[in-house]
Amino acid sequence: MSKTIDEAPGAVRSARRAGRRRMSSRSKKEAFYFWLFISPWLIGFVGFLLGPMIASVYISFTEWDSFTPPEWVGLDNYVKALTGDPVFWKALGNTFYYALISVPLGLVIGVWLANLLNKRVRGRKLFRTFIYLPTLVPLVATAMVFKMVLAPSGPLNELLGWFGIEGPNWLLDPTWVKPALIVLSAWGAGGATVLLLSAMNGIPRELYEAAEIDGASAWRQFWSVTFPQITPVIFFNLIMGLIGSFQIFSQVYILTAGGPDNASQMMVPLLFREAFSFYHFGYASAVAWLLFIVIMAFTLIAFRTSRSWVFYEQEVR
Amino acid sequence: MTALATKPRAGRKKLTGEREPRLLSVFKASPATYAVLLIVSAIFFVPFILMVSISLASDQTSAQNAFTVIPTEFEWRNFTEVFTATGLPVGRFVLNSVLIATLSAVGQVLSSSLVGYAFARLRAPGKGVMFMIVLATMMIPAQITMIPQFLLFKELGWVNTYLPLIIPNFFTNAFNVFLVRQFVSRISGELDEAAQMDGLGYFGIYRRIILPMMWPILTAIAIFTLTHAWGDFMGPLIYLNSEESMPLALGLQYMTGTSNEMQLPPWNLVMVGSIILTLPMIAIYYLGQKYLYEMNLQGGSAGVK
Repeated sequence: MSKTIDEAPGAVRSARRAGRRRMSSRSKKEAFYFWLFISPWLIGFVGFLLGPMIASVYISFTEWDSFTPPEWVGLDNYVKALTGDPVFWKALGNTFYYALISVPLGLVIGVWLANLLNKRVRGRKLFRTFIYLPTLVPLVATAMVFKMVLAPSGPLNELLGWFGIEGPNWLLDPTWVKPALIVLSAWGAGGATVLLLSAMNGIPRELYEAAEIDGASAWRQFWSVTFPQITPVIFFNLIMGLIGSFQIFSQVYILTAGGPDNASQMMVPLLFREAFSFYHFGYASAVAWLLFIVIMAFTLIAFRTSRSWVFYEQEVR
Repeated sequence: MTALATKPRAGRKKLTGEREPRLLSVFKASPATYAVLLIVSAIFFVPFILMVSISLASDQTSAQNAFTVIPTEFEWRNFTEVFTATGLPVGRFVLNSVLIATLSAVGQVLSSSLVGYAFARLRAPGKGVMFMIVLATMMIPAQITMIPQFLLFKELGWVNTYLPLIIPNFFTNAFNVFLVRQFVSRISGELDEAAQMDGLGYFGIYRRIILPMMWPILTAIAIFTLTHAWGDFMGPLIYLNSEESMPLALGLQYMTGTSNEMQLPPWNLVMVGSIILTLPMIAIYYLGQKYLYEMNLQGGSAGVK
């Protein structure tokens, strides 16, 4: 923005001074427009996020059904969740069970399929489409179909029947209802597969050539070349997957409603039920904050451990 | 998503005239590779076939729960009956979904483009702090604000209207602001400087110069918002309780729930509904693939590294 002015020094100085004044009024104007333009976000942030967050902290310290005035109860809601409510611990345990199995399982399937698709396969585009397609199906439709797939005499049990296995009554059996939800989540492994495949496509060919000259087996090449190169994508999917699966809701609500006997009750369906069926807004808010703490803790743990296994190119070069 | 646009064969073209490089052993596909891929893609595809075959089953088959994976009946009239025979306003469900999804996308595109532009181009004291806040808010799970937001919208008299599902989109979200900001930062600033010399104001630069160049990322944002709003279940479940106002995603659940205990839901019609819910998503994805690829370049890899 500064201009070279080939005039007398005095003129330069006065021009510069004038320029500075002009600049400052202009930068004021620019700042004004900045705040004006970001105002949609700023209003949304204050009105729909910061305000509600503060309200949520307050509500979590009260007992409130939204019809009568809130009653301050201090930490009671948190104490109740952590010591007095067996369903809370069950829901937390179930959510851990679900997240800690479905996310790694989805990643293992994703890495495995991506590695197969990364080979010179005929019809690879078609295979990839088949594997990716389920991720485009809205969750509600997925849940509807799986209600059928997982029915006692449904296709899954029919398939197991071919191998002489008598399938359980998936959604009505306390031991099998969580594995059933995990099966449903595995159907969405195509999303990770496609991301991992694109990461594998980007691995320099020379690395494999060098490995081949060194006589490394395909298995060894996978673990020493492919895997380290895709760890950033695995890490990204791990974080997003964990955050997402801790917040599982629709599948549970539609397929099991938390049953049988809370065997598939999870954190968000629990807080949803407390809030919108029982109008325990205080308790539900406390559950929401506890969920937030759990998600944060897991994200932090994942980031901490990532230093030891996620490989970043920059560190080497 | 990126993979759909990257071609491993690009190398072959480059090397015309030269000897094609020897296929490395890791890239050799064995019969086992094909066997596994065939089985796995069949398993991934079965629920789709099932969706179609149930949607074409007769009412009798549906009532007896006697479905086959490969369709044996072809009751095409199910696709018209779904609108009349369920006792629910299914046509209205679809219309509601279209309305909510479209207006949400319009809101996100308008607001995120303006806010993202400001973060990328305009200078102001406090901007850095604001951007830190944008990034930080991405980590707040929706459940934290769900209850106070509900109470707020209830206070405003918005319950059982579309407003709680649509209006927040006009105030953008952190992720979209981030995407637009990254995108605009990569556009050269020479054009806006020239425009500024010509006396164009900041809004003019946004409207005339930057906005026309932003459309790949805005299309991606529109697609993401559309798919999210179209499939959203929890939002409508919280805010909408009259049949007339329900979107299809919620209406479908309603369809399986309204029949009495003794009677099975009309599975064939529910599956028709599921297909109606699914097809637009597949269509949008295939039409917008390259913009999603763009999005992935901006956001995905930025998130990865």
